[in-house]
Amino acid sequence: MNKEQSDLSRGKIFSAIKEAKPTVTMDVKTIEQEALEILTESEFARPKLLSEDATEALVLRIEAGLVIGTSCERLSTLDNLPNSVKKFFSKHFLPPALKLQSVKQLEKLNWQGISTDIDIQQDNTVGLCWAEYGVAETGSFVVHSSADMPILLNFLPLYLIAVIPKSKILHYMDDYALIANEIAKKAETPRNMCLISGVSGTTDIEGVLVQGAHGPEILHIIIVEDQ
Amino acid sequence: MQANRPEDFSKNVSKALAQPDLKKIIRRTTDKAETKRAEAVANFPEFEKARAQGQKVKDHTIKYMDHYLAEFEKNALAQGTIVHWASTGEEASKIVLDICRQHKAKKVTRSKSMLGEEIGLTHAFDNSEMERIETDLAEHIIQLAGDPPSHIVWPAMHRSREDVVKLFREFHKDPTYSEEITDLVRSARRDLRNKFLTSDIGISGSNFLLADSGSSCTVTNEGNAELTITPPKVHIVTAGIEKLVPSMAHAVPLLRLLTRSATGAEITQYITFHNGPKRPNDADGPEECHIVLVDNGRTKMLAEGMEEMLRCIRCGACMNHCVVYKHIGGHAYGSVYPGPMGSVLTPHLNSLEVANKQTHACTLNGRCEDVCPVNIPLPKLLRSLRAQSWQKKYEPLTNRFVVQSFAMMAKRPRLFQLLSSCGVIFMKVFSRKGWIKYMPLTSGWTRNRDLIEPESTTFMQQYKKIKKAETTKSGGA
Repeated sequence: MNKEQSDLSRGKIFSAIKEAKPTVTMDVKTIEQEALEILTESEFARPKLLSEDATEALVLRIEAGLVIGTSCERLSTLDNLPNSVKKFFSKHFLPPALKLQSVKQLEKLNWQGISTDIDIQQDNTVGLCWAEYGVAETGSFVVHSSADMPILLNFLPLYLIAVIPKSKILHYMDDYALIANEIAKKAETPRNMCLISGVSGTTDIEGVLVQGAHGPEILHIIIVEDQ
Repeated sequence: MQANRPEDFSKNVSKALAQPDLKKIIRRTTDKAETKRAEAVANFPEFEKARAQGQKVKDHTIKYMDHYLAEFEKNALAQGTIVHWASTGEEASKIVLDICRQHKAKKVTRSKSMLGEEIGLTHAFDNSEMERIETDLAEHIIQLAGDPPSHIVWPAMHRSREDVVKLFREFHKDPTYSEEITDLVRSARRDLRNKFLTSDIGISGSNFLLADSGSSCTVTNEGNAELTITPPKVHIVTAGIEKLVPSMAHAVPLLRLLTRSATGAEITQYITFHNGPKRPNDADGPEECHIVLVDNGRTKMLAEGMEEMLRCIRCGACMNHCVVYKHIGGHAYGSVYPGPMGSVLTPHLNSLEVANKQTHACTLNGRCEDVCPVNIPLPKLLRSLRAQSWQKKYEPLTNRFVVQSFAMMAKRPRLFQLLSSCGVIFMKVFSRKGWIKYMPLTSGWTRNRDLIEPESTTFMQQYKKIKKAETTKSGGA
């Protein structure tokens, strides 16, 4: 890598911009103020949700078939999660083997009758992840990379179950952006922040939609009431 | 298929028009995209407001581009990303290959990025000792076929299912013998799975660069970007400097517009923000992260008053709605960027001298501007390029002669009317059953379609006749 060449190009790019826009102010406060003003329009420039309640809106969106390859259910308590997972296995005629994210909330549950591990390298598996947030606007769940969240858990299995705590369901993507900003202020930004809204799909052959292009073909979202 | 050259545009168009099925194949995808976009916009009554907001985000960032570039660099460095700068596509490609060689990479996976094509990265890898693996399904198909992309969202739209069947049978280790599209996709899944997991370097583009965090954002439906980036030890992002936005909150309105305009879906399945290399205890992710910020003609566009084009978020709506693109497809343009946006971009990325004909391949019907999610005045920009091309005398002598003759006649109404009436008589001589199959000086038109027989009299003759009839009628009344 030639650092000198890169620095030279950097200089060229900045001078070319300066030359093209010689009169533009570089007062940071003015720039920040203008940037903030644009965001005040978001409230009027985003779609209406299917319900004022974020959880309801997320559920309605999935039930209306607006989130590709995705189903959802609501649980009153997390203790019922293993039973829901068993039902998912039966529905899809799958052997009871689960790639389970290693987080306390999930590990403490009674998984009797289901073998669990976190070896996600093979295809044709069922993964289960604990989402950081849900977003009603897009029917998304959000995951952050960390020591106990391998990003590939959300991309390698053919079947994926995502658990979203009800209190973490946000109305709009803008709400998530505010949270991401707060995380950044604390210098705790994770390497990856993924908004996942449905399954891996493609329309690249003759425009026909096929689910499970590289990642999950079936996604099941489970919303749990907070403990 | 060898890539066409932009300077051979007329020849490329003739070749495209001579392919009987091409128009049908293109329309299958673009017509569907057109319908789905219209539905998505109808279901989003706030679309116009979102569009105005999206335009403001882009205009604001372009206005303060040097400020945001410096911010992005500072914050990306703070995340642990190594930042590189490239004035040209060649420099950018060299930086990427040098990083790969430094890591002694043998296999390199790449998720779809039109910038990668623009800077010649695919060719650079093909001429190197390294194996390039395209992971987007469409890019995978065109890599096997040896084709250039023909659309920025569906690069393989010119390939039929039958073509894909043949390609997969020839190249996949465990191919399907079914011709069902689902089975073909499964075949690609099997073929690519191990390649994702054993790649040395993952290369991605970026839909947005967030200045306040130094993040790059990828947007896909397949999830191939995350699979490309996460397993290898090194992640390289290549991105044009116009991809900047101030923050994630500013990217949100553009995300709302992007997918609705591109495919008619409300959102893509995967939106991921990449913030440097893996943290010390992360379960997975690359250990090293590089970003190559590319100019390649963008600051020139800023200097030449074409900054509205830098708003482009690469949704492809302009080409999906373009009557010319729908007839000739993407390859005819001889550029990575086809259609209306390509006809404005290519003269800047290449030169107006070689790509001036593309600026004329436009009826100026304004549909591209109507559907552009960030209000780029494409017809205005194309007209301005036409004017530049005229001033620089890039038009062929015959064209200049015809236009100058027309201008001369148009200023002399009597001469114009006389020659128009002669023209009508002349055309009638070549007409058979209402159509003209051949006529001197019109081979450019009649080579691929017939010319309709004109009325027996000129417009002015008919106008005078009607006017006279009206006068007689009102006089009589």
